[in-house]
This record gives sequence, structure tokens and C-alpha cells, in this order.
Amino acid sequence: MAGISDVLDWTKHQVASRVPKADLDQRDPDYIREQLPGLWLLASLYFRADVRGLDRIPRDGPVLLVGNHSGGNLPPDTFVFTLAFCSYFGVERPFYQLAHNLVVSMPGLGSLRKFGTVAANHDNAMLALESGAALLVYPGGDYEVFRPSWERHEVDFGGRKGYVKLAREAGVPIVPVASVGGQEAALFLDRGQWLAKLLMVDKLARLKSVPILLAPPWGLVVSDMVPRLPLPTKIAIEVQEPIGVDGDDDVVHKQVMESLQAGVDRLAAERRFPVIG
Amino acid sequence: MRVQRHCVIDADRDTVWKTVSNPDCYPEFMASLERWEHVTEGEANKGARYTVHWKIGSVPIGGVVEVSEFDPAHDLAWIGVSGVSLRGRFRIRDNGDGRTKVVFRLAYESAGNLLGLIADRVAARQVGRNMTETLKNLKKTVET
Repeated sequence: MAGISDVLDWTKHQVASRVPKADLDQRDPDYIREQLPGLWLLASLYFRADVRGLDRIPRDGPVLLVGNHSGGNLPPDTFVFTLAFCSYFGVERPFYQLAHNLVVSMPGLGSLRKFGTVAANHDNAMLALESGAALLVYPGGDYEVFRPSWERHEVDFGGRKGYVKLAREAGVPIVPVASVGGQEAALFLDRGQWLAKLLMVDKLARLKSVPILLAPPWGLVVSDMVPRLPLPTKIAIEVQEPIGVDGDDDVVHKQVMESLQAGVDRLAAERRFPVIG
Repeated sequence: MRVQRHCVIDADRDTVWKTVSNPDCYPEFMASLERWEHVTEGEANKGARYTVHWKIGSVPIGGVVEVSEFDPAHDLAWIGVSGVSLRGRFRIRDNGDGRTKVVFRLAYESAGNLLGLIADRVAARQVGRNMTETLKNLKKTVET
């Protein structure tokens, strides 16, 4: 008779097998070009986004773009930055984004792969950088993206610094990308790490958080898996000067964190009201 | 989407042309210019290419443009070769009183079917404001 551990292993295998293998060729510049006007309308009218400092990104060659992550499972900062990058450098410049396994394997989100979104792991990241592409990563991932809204202006990767090793191995510079506003798209109350452990999704689906939030039209939401209406929060993004990966991992990580936090503090100081900006 | 603005400058056509045909003057008079770079080397002429981005809405919009007409003291036109589909033109004509009439035209078309059409129309107001501002700056630059 199958034990609990067998059931868990089977479930884990089922979840893992649904994560599509990274195929960089799935990125489709023509598809992206056709989506840009819709994204531009959303970014300009609904989120009143402001993106600065794109000229600091090296004009060609591989680069690791490291951002602080906000907005739960509907992160406005990600698509605003994707729109800005593709508008500035053209859809022809290869640009990939790492996302949680659950995002890339979720039914209905297959079109993200045409934007260049691949599952977040070291192999996929190296594959993208070695192909000469720009790669956007959010090391804080599901830990940072579900932080309570009152911690919205705190950059917190939860101690993750594998991105430094990645940049070192690939021999590429790190460009920090600071953003504010995303965590005001809903009222995030708790990361729900205790709930993730209780439901064992931390082991089954690499899901460290099962967040609890207040969001229209549902009111109280648990897990952020059901589509919701993000509040029209003003998004501000600042691209910062590239950081070379010369020193110790901890030193580089500290440099990136300080740069991001300083950027977030600058952008936050310009906000007069939550959501309105 | 086609947007057009015009102004009358208190100078002759050759003087206006000196500014309009000088790529180094564009960051000075072109409003909301976020990026302006030479792609090809050498002086401005037919076939010269530049990267140009205007801040429209939330992000810089534009791409690489190529000069398609370079008719001294008369017409300067360009077409977009990457990024958003774009055509632009400065028409420079005698106003009859020793002054010069400058017409600035931009025609652009986003991809994306219906959303592209809506985006073009929404952007038109800001594009028009930028063009008016550009002509004001051009007039100021040439007349001083």
C-alpha cells in the first residue's frame, strides 16, 4: 500500500513534469511587437508608469538585470519593465525573464513564453546569458513579491544571492532595477509561509508562500491564484549603473542590495499618497 | 495616425535649414527627446541613420530612422526602419514676407490591430503637444 511519502513523491513529480523545458526559440519578436500597444495603454493610462535610466543598460551583449519584486502573482513592474526594455532596445534584442515554475506551467499563461519567460533555475539562466541575451531576474521571488504592503519599500531577497554566482559564471555585469508601487496593487497582509508548510506546497511545488491579501473584487484572498483586479497604482522604475562582479559574492550582493534600496528610497520619497503616487 | 503642426519663423529658409539639417541641434530643439544617437557616420544626408526615442506616455517610443529626403532649404524627411512604423517631415517654405513657414509632420502606426489603433489615437494628443513644443524651440533657436 502506498505511503504518504509515495503520494508526495508522485505529486512532486507530476508538478515538476509540467514545467516546460526552456526553449529560447519560443520567444517571438513579432508577437511581442503586436502586444506592445496594449501594454503601453495599460502602463501609461492605468499604472501611469515612469521608467528612467534605460540608457544605463549596456547597449549590446548579455547582461543580468536584477530587480526587487512587487505585486504578487500580477506584478505590474515586470510587464512595465518588459515594455520599456523592448521599446528602448527594440523587440529584436533577445531579452528573457525568469519566472516561478508555477507561472510558466500555469494553463493560460503559455503566451508568456513568447515574451521570453522561462522557468527560474540556474541552467535556464545560463542558457539565456550564454546566448548573448539580457536576462531579468527577481532573486526575492515569491518570498519578496508577497511581503506585507507596509514593507513595500523594503528590498528583501530573503538571503538569496545565487544571482551573483550566475553573473560571475556567465561573466556579465549586474544592472540593478529598482521599482516602487507594485506592492500597492493589493493590500498584502501576510506571506503565509506557515500556510505553505502546512499545505506542504513548499516541498511539492517549491512554493514558499501562500499569501493572504485583500484585493478587489473578492475581498479576502488566500494564495493569489484566482485572477483579481490590481489597483491602479503608480509604478516608478529606476534602472541603475551596472555593477561588475569582481569581489566576493557577499560584497557584490551587499553592493546590489544597497544600490536597490537607495533607488527604492529615492522613488518612494517622490510618492505623496499610496496607490495615487 | 498623422499629426501636423506648423509655425512661422522670423528668418530666411537657409537659416532655418542650418538648424533643421544639423543632427547635433536636435537634442536642443526636439521636445521630449529621450535618446538621440548617430547610427551612421558622416554628415547628415539622404541615407543617414539615427536612433531616436521620444518619451510618450510611460516609456520611450521610437527606433532607428533613416533620412529619406534631404533637399536643402526645402524638405527633410525620414522613415522608421525599426521600432514603431514612422514617417516624419520638416517642410520649409517662404512665407512671402522674409519669414519662413515650417510644417512638422509625423505619421505613425503601431502594430497590434485594434489596440494599436487605440494606442495611436491616445498617443496623438501628447505627440501633438511635443510637436508644438518642438516648433517653439526651433523658432527660439533660429531667431536668437
